[in-house]
Amino acid sequence: MNFEQLSMLAPEFTMLVGGCLALLVGATSASQRAQLVSPLAFITIVAALLMTLSLGTPESAQVIPGLWLSSLTFYVRCVALVVGAIIVLVNWHQPTASERGEYMALILFSLLGVLLTASSNDLIVLFFSIELVSIPTYVLIGLSREDSRASESAVKYFFLGALSAAILAYGMSFLYGAAGTTLLQTSGDGASIAAWASHGVMSGTAIVGLLLILAGLAFKVAAVPLHVYVGDVYEGAASPITGLLGFVPKLAGFVALIQIFSACQWDVPDAAYWAIWAMAAATMTVGNVVALLQTNVKRMLAYSSVAHTGYMLVALLVGPMAGHGPMHNGVAALLFYIAVYGAMNLGLFAVLSAFARRGKPIETLDDLAGLATVSPLIGLATAVCSFSLMGLPPTAGFVGKLYVFSSAFSLGAEHAFQKPLIILAVIGVVNSAIGAAYYLRIVASVYIRESDESPTPVAGHPVRWGIALCSIPLLVLFVWPVGLLDTARQASVPTNAPVHSVKVVEASGITSAPNTTPPVLLNEMPFAAASRD
Amino acid sequence: MSIETLKLCGIIILLAPLAAAVVAGALGTRVLKSQTHWVTILGVGSAFTCSCLVFNQVVGAPAGESMATIPIYDWIPNATASMFRVELLIDPLTSLMLLVVTGVALLVVIYSRDYMRDHGQPERGYERFFAFLALFVFSMCALVLGGNFILLYLGWEAVGLCSYLLIGFYYDRPTAAAAAKKAFLVNRVGDFGFGLGILLIYLTFGSLEYTAVFDMVSRGVDAAGNTVPSSTITTIALLLLCGACGKSAQLPLHVWLPDAMEGPSPVSALIHAATMVTAGIYMIARCGAIFSASATAMTVVAVIGAVTALFAATIALVQTDMKRILAYSTISQLGYMVLGAGVYAADSAVFHLFTHAFFKALLFLGAGSVMHAMGGIIDLRQFGGLRRVLPWTFRTFVIGSLALAGFPLFSGFFSKDEIIHHALTASPVLGVMALVTAALTAFYTFRMVFLAFWGRERIPEGVHAHESGGWMLAPLMILSVGAVFAGYLGVHAVGGGFHEFLAPVFEHTFAAHRHVTHVAGVEPTLWDEYGLMVVSGAIAILAIALAYVLYVPQRWFPALVKASAVRTHRTLWNKYYVDELYDAGLVSPARRAGRVCVGLDDYLIDGLVWLATAIPRGLGYSARVLQSGFLQGYGVSMVAGIAIIMMFVFWS
Repeated sequence: MNFEQLSMLAPEFTMLVGGCLALLVGATSASQRAQLVSPLAFITIVAALLMTLSLGTPESAQVIPGLWLSSLTFYVRCVALVVGAIIVLVNWHQPTASERGEYMALILFSLLGVLLTASSNDLIVLFFSIELVSIPTYVLIGLSREDSRASESAVKYFFLGALSAAILAYGMSFLYGAAGTTLLQTSGDGASIAAWASHGVMSGTAIVGLLLILAGLAFKVAAVPLHVYVGDVYEGAASPITGLLGFVPKLAGFVALIQIFSACQWDVPDAAYWAIWAMAAATMTVGNVVALLQTNVKRMLAYSSVAHTGYMLVALLVGPMAGHGPMHNGVAALLFYIAVYGAMNLGLFAVLSAFARRGKPIETLDDLAGLATVSPLIGLATAVCSFSLMGLPPTAGFVGKLYVFSSAFSLGAEHAFQKPLIILAVIGVVNSAIGAAYYLRIVASVYIRESDESPTPVAGHPVRWGIALCSIPLLVLFVWPVGLLDTARQASVPTNAPVHSVKVVEASGITSAPNTTPPVLLNEMPFAAASRD
Repeated sequence: MSIETLKLCGIIILLAPLAAAVVAGALGTRVLKSQTHWVTILGVGSAFTCSCLVFNQVVGAPAGESMATIPIYDWIPNATASMFRVELLIDPLTSLMLLVVTGVALLVVIYSRDYMRDHGQPERGYERFFAFLALFVFSMCALVLGGNFILLYLGWEAVGLCSYLLIGFYYDRPTAAAAAKKAFLVNRVGDFGFGLGILLIYLTFGSLEYTAVFDMVSRGVDAAGNTVPSSTITTIALLLLCGACGKSAQLPLHVWLPDAMEGPSPVSALIHAATMVTAGIYMIARCGAIFSASATAMTVVAVIGAVTALFAATIALVQTDMKRILAYSTISQLGYMVLGAGVYAADSAVFHLFTHAFFKALLFLGAGSVMHAMGGIIDLRQFGGLRRVLPWTFRTFVIGSLALAGFPLFSGFFSKDEIIHHALTASPVLGVMALVTAALTAFYTFRMVFLAFWGRERIPEGVHAHESGGWMLAPLMILSVGAVFAGYLGVHAVGGGFHEFLAPVFEHTFAAHRHVTHVAGVEPTLWDEYGLMVVSGAIAILAIALAYVLYVPQRWFPALVKASAVRTHRTLWNKYYVDELYDAGLVSPARRAGRVCVGLDDYLIDGLVWLATAIPRGLGYSARVLQSGFLQGYGVSMVAGIAIIMMFVFWS
């Protein structure tokens, strides 16, 4: 490892240093110094983002055996840092000044975890990265407000999170046992999970390992049956931090899933494939159906977040290379969707945190009534975010859903899972329609319903900017999705290693594999039909 | 200027008004307030400047290179269908339309600065007005710049939305709200057909790109090389015509335009006279390949145009609301343009569109100036003799009226004469209808002028009449220059090259077929043409003279006519009872059906929905039992879930 390689990790180092500085500044008792913490955190993230952009899409590069930078790293860094900056804006005045140092530092560390997840090339590094994402969130929930419910949900989240971490580590141990290495990919002929997966059929041990890893990560992304915590935890945490909870662990979880699956060459045994299929269907349905019943907006959005996990699982199941059609890359669709989801979800939570009714934070649909008359622009932003979550034009949510579901429709007839995936997409479309019902209730509350006591704005300028930065891009991305989508496509294909994973030659659209991997394998991949002509 | 510069200009034309709309909408109420008009002037002004550059480029382009399709970006990359591409088409027709749209819009925005003020104070919704106006300019530019049917449709719907928003600008006035709704609904009827037409194009040709589709249509084959039956082409053309009838207020969908005058006068001038309503004519001209490939469709187009022109002109004879007279006159003039396109003279139709934009915008703005001075009253029975009260409004209004009436050597004279000429050559019946309409037009226009400006000075009580200020008069003067001279651009004798400029657009479509229809007959001689000019000029002068005789010296005549032809007068006054007919035939039944549906909805459907949602709700409640809030319960259910997955995987 030399300095040049190390400099590629500049964004991560920046986040680390920024987090430590925030801790230090926050520790000094003077309250006017605590006012510096939020700007410091914001500047840190912006600096990390600028470094990411100046580093550009790295040629797949190994920094140390456990860390490998790729186009996926670049994409995830950009998305996490952009949304992270908005998260800091939304949390600008959270919580009381004396705790703000820790609070902001934890947000930065959690984001750092996401960045590391995207570049980890080793099961152990991956595990630590994921936990680096999760552990700060447990504390953040507890810090977020002076309320016994916050403490309760922090404790619940912690214990269940610990359980899921155990399951994840257990699963990784099985995979290690089967593959004999924890390294995901290597550039040479060395041992790695990718090399192992490309040579043989998966054993029972490996399948158990994969399923347990899937379950452990399902907790992070809030997929059925490991979604049970979301309602209580989202409700207990303060709205600004709920915006983080809905996005950051989900991004980390999906990136980790992409890392693991791509190391396994997207070659998953049929039984496991069906398990994910059932999981996706159940996640969409349960999330939407339960959300329908909620009157508490935060609980509603909690279950909506479960439903959106279901849509993203559909795209994950399609894999990076399906058949023909306008959008034939499930992983690109997923990466696009999760970025859009981050903005629209955070936007709604930012709106919730920008108002109070009768001196209390907004909790229920009733509390939102009459918001549009109080603040027309924020009302409009609420509508934009809600329509985007519904997947209606002219918002990015529509484009995202279009990509996700059309990727499921685009598999060729030679693909064994063509029909099941189409059924899954149909289930997803039906679910989108169910979902529209409760998102419309939010819009109706904001615009149509009258209230004896309208919500009063409590937010400062940073939160307002946060809302604007969430909702305006949703409209822009509808009109011009290509920029983000192209980056997502690049990120989706050669995840880590240049040698063992499949490369897609963009210009000709021909799939080719390097010599070390038998080309025959491409045709045998049930996860992804290789033909792309 | 390279293609890159052209592309940049196109993007600026689109984005500058859009940005102005966003800024005016977002910052108008708080920051800009009574200065909001500057944002819109800036946005539309930049669009106008770029339109001039584009126009200049197209004029200067060497022969055969005046058309360019400029892709901007792919909406979905690597898409198989070209419908997902955002692309601009720049050709003589587009560049001309852009010039008209942005030019008139700029003048109207400047005019509105004073018009939308009451005693110097901005009206309520001042910033909203300018935001919508800028949004309209964006939509209209998108409509004319779009390089495929998707963008055309998007622009088409967006201008409809802006029209709706601006007609209903005074939304607390019930008549304005009703008019906005009516305009929107009537346009839905047309747009439904239009949408179906576009779908049929896609189903038939597998593409929505202008160049690709028109190329296939002209060769009579689809993408796979199979012959397309002519009945399909006719169906497509008629469906597209539906859209044109709605947007350009042709029979039987004309009913919305007179009511649309509830909007502020600048809106009437810009949207409902000069630009948006001409979108139908633009579309027919643009789709010339499709229309001219079907003789049946062309006949329908011509007949609808001629009938509408005559029909609307007769109604205008008896109306007393100045803006409504102008609205019917607009319908009638649009009828001329449609007629022109229908007799394979699309270049003449576009020429009339061009001159009409000047004088009709001028007339509406003039009427607005009168209305402004009369304190919102526009009924000709309540005022008169304003010649000295509003000297400049009077002068410009008369210029506009002369142009509209087809008074010799004014712009409307040349363009209308061309259409009449082509109509006469195509079919004597259509030609005579067009000539009669011309006479009626001159008569009702000057009836209005004489009633408003001549005779004894009458001003409604309590109104302090005053001439408008410079912000309003300057656009009137600029437009009146156009109203006088725009026509000469189409006259060869003085070096006007309008038709040569447009020729590349129509040479393979309308023009090609026009020559075919002329093979049987004899090419019209110069004498035919000038003879007609003399005739139509004489008709206009006679009609104006008749109006003078009847309305200026003594005003016993209108009462006499009203008494002697009660029934005719009443029919015309009630606009042939079309609204009542629609009300009895469509609206009332629909409303009754609606009531039945509401009943069904409340009891039957809601019951079914309740039943249908009972299942998820039941599921939800049972799931809620699991959500007891106990940590142990959550942990157990998670582990149980994993166990079930494991069993599922290893058992199967």
